Amino acid sequence: MTPSPQGRRAVVIEDHDDIRNLLAQTIGMRGFTVTTAATGLDGLEAVRRDGADLITLDLNLPDLDGMEICRRVREFSDAYLLMVTARPGEIDRLRGLELGADDYISKPFSPRELQARIEAMFRRPRARAEQADAEELRRAAEVQRSLLPATAPAVPGYDVGGLCRPSRSVGGDFFDWYATGDGLQVSLADAMGKGMGAALIAATVRAVLRSAAGQPDMAQAFRDTCRHLENDLVHSGSFVTLFHARLDTARGTVDYVDAGHGLGLHVHAGGADRLPSGGPPVGAVPDTEWASGSLRLAPGDALVVVSDGLLDAFEDVEEAVRAVAAVVAEHPGSREACQAILDLVPSDAAADDVTAVLVRRRPTAPGGAL
Amino acid sequence: MQFTVEHKPTFAHITGTGRLNMVGAPKLREVVAEVVSGGSNHVVVDLGGTEFMDSSGLGALIGCLKLARQAGGDLRIANVRPQVQMVLELTSMNRVLTPYDTADEAFRDA
Repeated sequence: MTPSPQGRRAVVIEDHDDIRNLLAQTIGMRGFTVTTAATGLDGLEAVRRDGADLITLDLNLPDLDGMEICRRVREFSDAYLLMVTARPGEIDRLRGLELGADDYISKPFSPRELQARIEAMFRRPRARAEQADAEELRRAAEVQRSLLPATAPAVPGYDVGGLCRPSRSVGGDFFDWYATGDGLQVSLADAMGKGMGAALIAATVRAVLRSAAGQPDMAQAFRDTCRHLENDLVHSGSFVTLFHARLDTARGTVDYVDAGHGLGLHVHAGGADRLPSGGPPVGAVPDTEWASGSLRLAPGDALVVVSDGLLDAFEDVEEAVRAVAAVVAEHPGSREACQAILDLVPSDAAADDVTAVLVRRRPTAPGGAL
Repeated sequence: MQFTVEHKPTFAHITGTGRLNMVGAPKLREVVAEVVSGGSNHVVVDLGGTEFMDSSGLGALIGCLKLARQAGGDLRIANVRPQVQMVLELTSMNRVLTPYDTADEAFRDA
């Protein structure tokens, strides 16, 4: 649906002051309410905050590459996107159009040509198919959220929490948990890529993992699960990193298998240790055998598993691990600690899904009783 | 992501410049598929100009490795930068895609 000329909003993203003013003025004359931004990040923020029917995007911005902005805009907005480029190379144009730009104009441009281009774009109504796609995506996001555990299992002596924040409406990360006779099973997985494709794989992995929950031997259950998944993953050219653990609540022992995930942590009073991985991701290398590992949670210790989206905010893995350890020490509640871990990655900077799961053994009460 | 291909006497030398992500990954698959179907099944992907790789990029490398091996050859990587090295270590894929210091070293044993 094309809004009436009076209600149309435009965001002008351009770092050059004179050109930005010229663009804003020219577009304003066509009845748009115009917001301007001098950097890509400010521009993205303006589109998120105010919404937009039209975006003009300079490809040479000081902070983000114009193509990258184009890609990010398309993750949440279907505004008409006009690229303004001083790089008239054919490749840039084609790439921009591939990434979802609607048209482009080369500098220097005449205001009349700009107005004509904009009106021509708005005469081409957005296809209904796109609206249907958006609706489907919204539904998919709802379904995916509903597959995440809504509440933490009550495990005497432990505090369990988990949170997942997809970078798009749907994503490839998920976590799951369920109480067993003598403890708790916890999994965190990250399917290759992002968006709908990754979400479909993630849902499959979750279902297969669940179906193996009754199997008493964890390593065996993991192997069976992976045999089932490998075939599907190979066919779809995808892979999944997976951390799967069983906690024996009375003993405080955790047995785990890490398939190419690499971000399971044992957080204790002295800091955090990364748990060694048992092999590559599921689906990456045929006929893999994964080594399992184990650890013991002393009272106050926590098992923390995060997804690699967290690393976007840090220089290296060690720095990220230290930050997680600090946040976990600061927040005694599991859910609050998970939220604080997600908050380590500002949501506007997050290019990837971010997920955290935490199982903390409650500290021994001062009187000595557990 | 830009790729160049140079045919050396014992291997095809592919260099990738830019970010190996959802956008770059399909291009790498295309380039390697073309090289392999052209008869070069010993492939080195030189990542000296690849400053970033995500899981889609890693997936493309794994897919290309399978392709080269199915054709009776192998794919090796060289000249990786710290972020790419980190992804390989984190996923334990460095055991399968072992990075070589230079492209020339990658197939010295072949």
